[in-house]
Amino acid sequence: MTDTAIRALLPAGLRDLLPPDADYEAEVVARVMAHFGAQGYERVKPPLIEFEDTLLDGAGAATAAQSFRVMDPLSQRMMGVRADMTPQVARVAVARLAQAPRPLRLSYAGEVLRVKGSQLRPERQFGQAGLELIGSTAPAADAEVIVLAAEALAELGVPGVSVDLSLPTLVPALFAELRLDAAARDCLREPLDHKDASGVAAAGGPAAAILTALLRAVGPVDAALSVLAGLPLPPAAAAERDRLAEVVALVRADAPDLTLTVDPVENRGFEYHTGVSFTLFSRAFSGELGRGGRYLAAGGEPATGVSLFLDGVLAVLPGPKRPDRVYVPAGTPRPWAQALRAQGWVTVAGLMPTADSVGEARRLGCGHVLGADGVEPAE
Amino acid sequence: MTMEDKLVIALPKGRILDEAMPLVRGAGIEPEPEFDDPKTRLLRFTTNHPHIDIIRVRSFDVATFVAFGAAHLGICGNDVLMEFDYPEIYAPLDLGIGRCRLSVAEPVDLAEADDPRRWSHVRIATKYPEVTRRHFAARGVQAECVKLNGAMELAPSLGLATRIVDLVSSGSTLKANGLKEVEVLAEIASRLIVNRAALKTRPGEMTGWIDRFRAVCEARHAA
Repeated sequence: MTDTAIRALLPAGLRDLLPPDADYEAEVVARVMAHFGAQGYERVKPPLIEFEDTLLDGAGAATAAQSFRVMDPLSQRMMGVRADMTPQVARVAVARLAQAPRPLRLSYAGEVLRVKGSQLRPERQFGQAGLELIGSTAPAADAEVIVLAAEALAELGVPGVSVDLSLPTLVPALFAELRLDAAARDCLREPLDHKDASGVAAAGGPAAAILTALLRAVGPVDAALSVLAGLPLPPAAAAERDRLAEVVALVRADAPDLTLTVDPVENRGFEYHTGVSFTLFSRAFSGELGRGGRYLAAGGEPATGVSLFLDGVLAVLPGPKRPDRVYVPAGTPRPWAQALRAQGWVTVAGLMPTADSVGEARRLGCGHVLGADGVEPAE
Repeated sequence: MTMEDKLVIALPKGRILDEAMPLVRGAGIEPEPEFDDPKTRLLRFTTNHPHIDIIRVRSFDVATFVAFGAAHLGICGNDVLMEFDYPEIYAPLDLGIGRCRLSVAEPVDLAEADDPRRWSHVRIATKYPEVTRRHFAARGVQAECVKLNGAMELAPSLGLATRIVDLVSSGSTLKANGLKEVEVLAEIASRLIVNRAALKTRPGEMTGWIDRFRAVCEARHAA
């Protein structure tokens, strides 16, 4: 192997997390999980890799193109590495915890791996922390998940959290009502994704008027709901709209200061969702911090949940404070160092006697040194 | 005022800028005088709004700045948007400026005997390899693209490629170089673009600006 190969490089989108960031990430995960745990969400831990046909079934189908595959030499079946933990947790709920009382509240944290990163988000491996609320169709369940996720971010110190609500089934319901064929739907998807009103008007045909009106509903929640309320929607779509209004009222009651926006035409990333869905943003960050929404777990059981993307969350947080470290010279009795740790110090033990313990402390990144008269600054 | 509350508007250098500035000014944004000095080396300009800055970059870079959230609003042609297809860019408003076509052109003598419906493989010099590939793939034609950043019109005569895909407005550049427009890929006009996260996290402010630009466009249309 060449020198360069040894020094080198990880595959694109993968990286080593170094001190103090690795520690910090673990701390952030622990705080999020404690927040979820305190509100009755119990943690599960599915495996990193499982059979492709269960991993990519139902809610998992949307991640098929993003999943790495390997063959299991034992069973000779294909296995997939998870690209999203939600389908796994839904599987656990339905297959292993079928007898557990509903609504079932589960939380999880772990790493996922994706085949491709995007230009804006090149990471192919990142941490997810989330929760799933399984077995309830109540609007209160949708609201609980949204509020919990937004609270978790705010408690971590994420500035200016906002939630963008969407109804991924609304546009398909309109398409079905207007009997648009697949080709016409495809032509509309791209201008809708880019909120391109003139493109929608050009490609819309019979749907142009109502879709342009929907585009005007994109924005702050109150204006959006009143625009939506004035639209002549078919019954299936109208039911979705009314449900959204109910969920908004419940979220408002629990989190009056949370910024809410509505995007009734958003579709990307919500391929398996069947109801009120949402994306979490922060004013201080240009990417997504998490997303979630209502879907059907295997067997048609109603569920809703949210996943936070830890790469995004960590990018927006102010970052770790290095703890105060004190250098304890070789030969110091162990109880002395123990006493310092009990006071909250991080101790770094000298292995060999040294004449210049202050210099040694500084070399090892310690701000302080244990001298004859106790802890002294290493200056 | 914190850094997050700055609003950065990205404008394209060159031809579109002259058409775009009346709209920007109409929306009530007036850049510092330095902006109109052709010799200035500044890239970032203050405006009459203390929290709004204007940056002036290449039109392809307008899309990139806005996609990454480095700029919040921008103006660029949908040729650029089609080429990059960034999911983070919303293009809510057709500004009706910078109108032209994205077209295939080939040497006049080739065009006389040529039937575009019978192409199976084409070699094309273009600034828009992605759009070109997508367009021809949809027709079942293999397109081999040579990426150039300008002066596409030279490519056929020097044997770099037989055809080009480029913006055409009057067609006089094509004519001067012995080329003829044979197929239109798309009609082009400039769009007001917004960063997705900015629209989601500063909804009132961003929709406010979109509405002001819309009002300016409608007023011009009516006049």
